[in-house]
Amino acid sequence: MAYSPATAEACFKHVCFFYQAEAEYAATVAGFLRAGLAGGEAAFAAVPPDKISLIRDALGADAGNVEFADMTTLGRNPAWIIPQVLAFIGAHAGHVRYVGEPIWAACGPAEVRAAMQHETLINLAFADADAEILCPYDIAALDPAVIADARRTHPLLSSGRRSMSPEYAVPSDTLPSRSLPLPALTNGAMYHTYRTDLSQVRALVLQHAREAGLTESRADDLVLAVSEVAANTLRHTQSSGTLAVWHDRDEIVCEVHDEGTIANPQAGRRRPAPDATGGHGLWLVHQVCDLVELHSDASGTTIRMHMAIQPPERNG
Amino acid sequence: MDLLTTSVATAESDTEPYTLVLLDGEADVTNCNALREVLEAEVAKQPRTLILDLSGLRFMDSSALHVILRVNRTMDRQGGVLALACPRDPVAKMLRLTAGDQLLPVYATVDEATAG
Repeated sequence: MAYSPATAEACFKHVCFFYQAEAEYAATVAGFLRAGLAGGEAAFAAVPPDKISLIRDALGADAGNVEFADMTTLGRNPAWIIPQVLAFIGAHAGHVRYVGEPIWAACGPAEVRAAMQHETLINLAFADADAEILCPYDIAALDPAVIADARRTHPLLSSGRRSMSPEYAVPSDTLPSRSLPLPALTNGAMYHTYRTDLSQVRALVLQHAREAGLTESRADDLVLAVSEVAANTLRHTQSSGTLAVWHDRDEIVCEVHDEGTIANPQAGRRRPAPDATGGHGLWLVHQVCDLVELHSDASGTTIRMHMAIQPPERNG
Repeated sequence: MDLLTTSVATAESDTEPYTLVLLDGEADVTNCNALREVLEAEVAKQPRTLILDLSGLRFMDSSALHVILRVNRTMDRQGGVLALACPRDPVAKMLRLTAGDQLLPVYATVDEATAG
């Protein structure tokens, strides 16, 4: 068999690219995508809209061969990204290139935490994929702590040339089970302890969602998410669970805590087979919520579900 | 009052008999075993067509979906058809997000379901 660069490249790479200037961004990202297109590879870029314009301009006519997605929509809940990229890989033969910028300056703390979890999970979800992933980080605009975490969650760094990240930590060290507990909920949350009465849990969530001002269909979404998480308390623990609900002008947050442990860090992150008779619960939670945070260790699991009061645009 | 009630009827459409199960209330992990027993009892009678009327179902979680998917497998093996009719918005959305609506025919009305 003849040597081919494509064969030599046939493995997974997850590269962090720190940038400051737009010109540097455009040249590096366009160069990364163009190198793939030249070899007949499929290319997908999910970045904020202003960056889509930059990349398109730099690619010129080649832009037509790249699939673009607005990351502020696709990645508002970072749990939506991996299934989308897996679907793209599944739809294209051979090596695939993906540019994903999951964190931008306007992201809030909860969004940043969820996006960094996503970066860790990329290392697991694509470990066997024939794909190369480039993640741009705005080193001038983002908090230094975010940059430090990016160095921990990416095996490779790119700044001019590529190198191994000396700070890279194996995913098991950066997963929810090892990460810090979620920051405390604000004062004024409503607490409710449940064991088997999930109907009451749903009624409480619906009532609070309506009071907070969620639309009826998004209130139903939140009810489904909380009910699925609370159902796991019944399925997997012998004790009661606690629901906390809290809202302000911007969002309503429901947090469920129980003594269960979620061992699989990718639970709910991959689309279950349609005929699977299990595993849809957490998948649904991630699909209907705007943002989901999870912390799980031997002492229990906390899942925090966020819904914006103003319905944002979303894909699908 | 029970969280979920079921009632079973047999009927005919164009001389083709079918079994209709009405679900009323909320179907979740706390009553999915009862739902399974009701549905399995009907499936054991080997109907050609089994229709679940979901118009009275205010809520359905993934446990109830899994019961329905298992029943669907048995119906498949028996050469019968399981169909869902009139899901309310939250149930219809849940079926879409799980892709359950790709495995099971979902109709807006029972009449459409009987017409197949």
